[in-house]
Amino acid sequence: MVLKLLGRGLTLFGVLIVVLLMVVVSLGATGFSDRMLQSTVSEEIRAYRTTLSQTIRDPEVLEATVAQRRAELEAFYHLDQPWFTRLPDTIQRVVTFDLGEARTLRTTDGSPRVADLLAERLGNTILLITTASVITSILGLLIGPRLAARAGTRLDRAACLALAVSYALPAWWVGIFFVLFFAFEWGIFPYGGLLSAPPPDGALARLGDMAWHAALPVAALVVVSFGSWAYAVRTMVLNTAQEPFVTVGKAKGLPQNLIERRYILRAAAPPIVTSLILGLAGSLGGAILTETVFNWPGMGRLYYDAIIAADETVIVALTFVFTLIYLAARFVLEVLYLWLDPRIRYT
Amino acid sequence: MKPKDIIRTLLSSWVGRVGAAFLALMLLVSVFVLMTYPLDFGKKVWNNPVFWADYPQSAPPAWTNTFSSDARVSHTTFTADEPFDVVADSTGRYLIYRFDLGYDYDEFPAFTSFSLSGVTFSDRPPILSLSILRPDGKEVLLLRHIVPGAAAGETAPYTRYSETPFRVYLTGDQAVAYNVRDFAAGELGLSLSLAEVQAKPEAVVFGQPDGAGGFTPMPGEYRINVTALTYADADSIAEVKYVLGGTVYGLMGTDSLGRDLARGLLFGFPVALLIGVVTSVFITVIGTATGIISGYVGGKTDTFIQRLCDVLANVPLLPILIFLAFIIGQKLWLVILIMVVFGWPGLTIITRSMVMQHAASQLVEATRALGASPSRIMFRHVLFQIGPFVLSQMIFSTPGAILAEAGLSFLGLGDPSIPTWGQILESGFSTGAVYVGYWWWVLPPGLLVVFAAMTFVLLALGFEPVVNPKLRQHGTA
Repeated sequence: MVLKLLGRGLTLFGVLIVVLLMVVVSLGATGFSDRMLQSTVSEEIRAYRTTLSQTIRDPEVLEATVAQRRAELEAFYHLDQPWFTRLPDTIQRVVTFDLGEARTLRTTDGSPRVADLLAERLGNTILLITTASVITSILGLLIGPRLAARAGTRLDRAACLALAVSYALPAWWVGIFFVLFFAFEWGIFPYGGLLSAPPPDGALARLGDMAWHAALPVAALVVVSFGSWAYAVRTMVLNTAQEPFVTVGKAKGLPQNLIERRYILRAAAPPIVTSLILGLAGSLGGAILTETVFNWPGMGRLYYDAIIAADETVIVALTFVFTLIYLAARFVLEVLYLWLDPRIRYT
Repeated sequence: MKPKDIIRTLLSSWVGRVGAAFLALMLLVSVFVLMTYPLDFGKKVWNNPVFWADYPQSAPPAWTNTFSSDARVSHTTFTADEPFDVVADSTGRYLIYRFDLGYDYDEFPAFTSFSLSGVTFSDRPPILSLSILRPDGKEVLLLRHIVPGAAAGETAPYTRYSETPFRVYLTGDQAVAYNVRDFAAGELGLSLSLAEVQAKPEAVVFGQPDGAGGFTPMPGEYRINVTALTYADADSIAEVKYVLGGTVYGLMGTDSLGRDLARGLLFGFPVALLIGVVTSVFITVIGTATGIISGYVGGKTDTFIQRLCDVLANVPLLPILIFLAFIIGQKLWLVILIMVVFGWPGLTIITRSMVMQHAASQLVEATRALGASPSRIMFRHVLFQIGPFVLSQMIFSTPGAILAEAGLSFLGLGDPSIPTWGQILESGFSTGAVYVGYWWWVLPPGLLVVFAAMTFVLLALGFEPVVNPKLRQHGTA
């Protein structure tokens, strides 16, 4: 069992390395990385020249000194060598969480460090996604088994169709829809953002304000995910209900709700948890779009801002962190899977 | 199962029927677009501001008038390539163009413009004038224009405005404002500032003073007169055009650049189909082939393919897609390529498990005993068995690709040379259309994305009985 887990962990680590390699290679091969470093060098040279020109009057000496400094800097950033020689270094830096500094983006305190930016935004994203997931899973677990019990009826078929519609609905568009109606047309909810400006005084009022701002994005996420969720729960419950051991339980004359709880839901739990966690991991990526629509200051919004501002350092760092979170979620899933389903141990 | 049976099963449920009808509609619209649109529509039309110069900006669809208490101005374009009348006197020949306009709107037009193309003359350059006769019998002279005369070294006949038309955006034009101000002073007895008139000359031309310093629209019959004084019989004008900019436009309205959204949205149909179908076909072909090989051949090949799948299937698609589109470039084929590269492993894993079941079946064993080659067994017998399942997977993977591309375009990373629904949404969102209530700009493209994705979801649902025979007994009619 531990070996299996270890193997899985290794695979996931391999994925991380592959993603990093891909990121670094595409940065290097397209010349992006060179341009990025070149602009850093140019900036430093400009500052250097300004300070130097106050002490050195002879233009020839000045130029020579500046040229020498440029060569030094280029050697320092390994710009005098082809991009792939910098490859191991870059990967090592990112893996050890030395994420670098953003070119234009800043935290509210003005720090350009990507790690600070992330620390500031990560909580907001998790808040949004977690709230949505909790609501979704409760709704799914309430609706799914009820649908399974009525499988094949008109209601079940109508519900399945509604769930299919929610699969085709992109959360970000539902978000736009909500903004258009709830914020523009009726003015009940804010257009976006985390807090009103200026934010209300007092912790409780602040919390209320945040909940008011989170209402629309959370609703958008729930609307699109609970459909496929309830459908998944329904199908899994339905599949488990056809298993021989359930039939045996029924034959023994056990009461219906005991069978439902102990036989069906318990056995159906692993796949249900699987799709919940998978949905959770996936929605982190999806939050890029939803946060953009609602101007929610989370990781997704940061990613969007980085794209708009062409801030490569932030884009690389965020891509890495998104992958890392996704993979961590998948690993947690593996552990949970072993823990939840005793049958796995025998295979 | 034969293809005929598959289609019959699909059409036996109403879900499948609706899906098939949607698909037929998408195909029909796509064929129409491919036949009527230029292939470089994005570059030549959609992203070309000159093309949209005579369209109103941010105008809601024309049919919204039905629900509105105010009658808003519908966009009207008058063109003439032949003069209405030709009158000759001692000075020369007057080519007279005349457009009649019944104006019964509660608003002023969004703008007005006048253009002229293809003027040919052999002696003296023609002199043009544009004036509007109002329902109250007063006539406003808006514009007088003398076509540039012969340059040194040029020989007759002279042609002007054949490549780019001579165009005056009457709203905001200073010469027009002077004329309209003089009209207001002389005929209406109002002294208006030049800036006031220049901002909206249409208020004076199509309005009457409301007594409070403003103007209200004056309904009635207007006549737009264009007169060209020419001096030779052969002198001609290819086209005269007067545009009354609507405050509503067409079926789907326009965006802030004046682009006709209906045209852009229609173009999205073949593009969405292309993205969805190409991606899913490639994913299915690669996924099925690797799945069959992996499951049937086994050994090292199997391990290798499965490890590769593990890695690729675990990559979070959207962030990577965004990253690669940003770094490598915004090309549609690239987006499709990335979706295929990361999309096939899921199918491989499922196919492999199904193949392993079938490979152990008596049928396959018997075939092998008869001496059939492995490739023949794999791609004739095993593939035939899992065929319906593969087909349903193909349909099921289609909406994902359409939605992914729309999301990417929504972030502004779509291929600008091929406009898609996601890009229309993006331009609406990034210019703030949502925050000022331009619903016609953001709702329809999103609805169409949902429609396209729904089409394939419904088909996949209708397909379920084909794949999962257990469901057939329940009857899904």
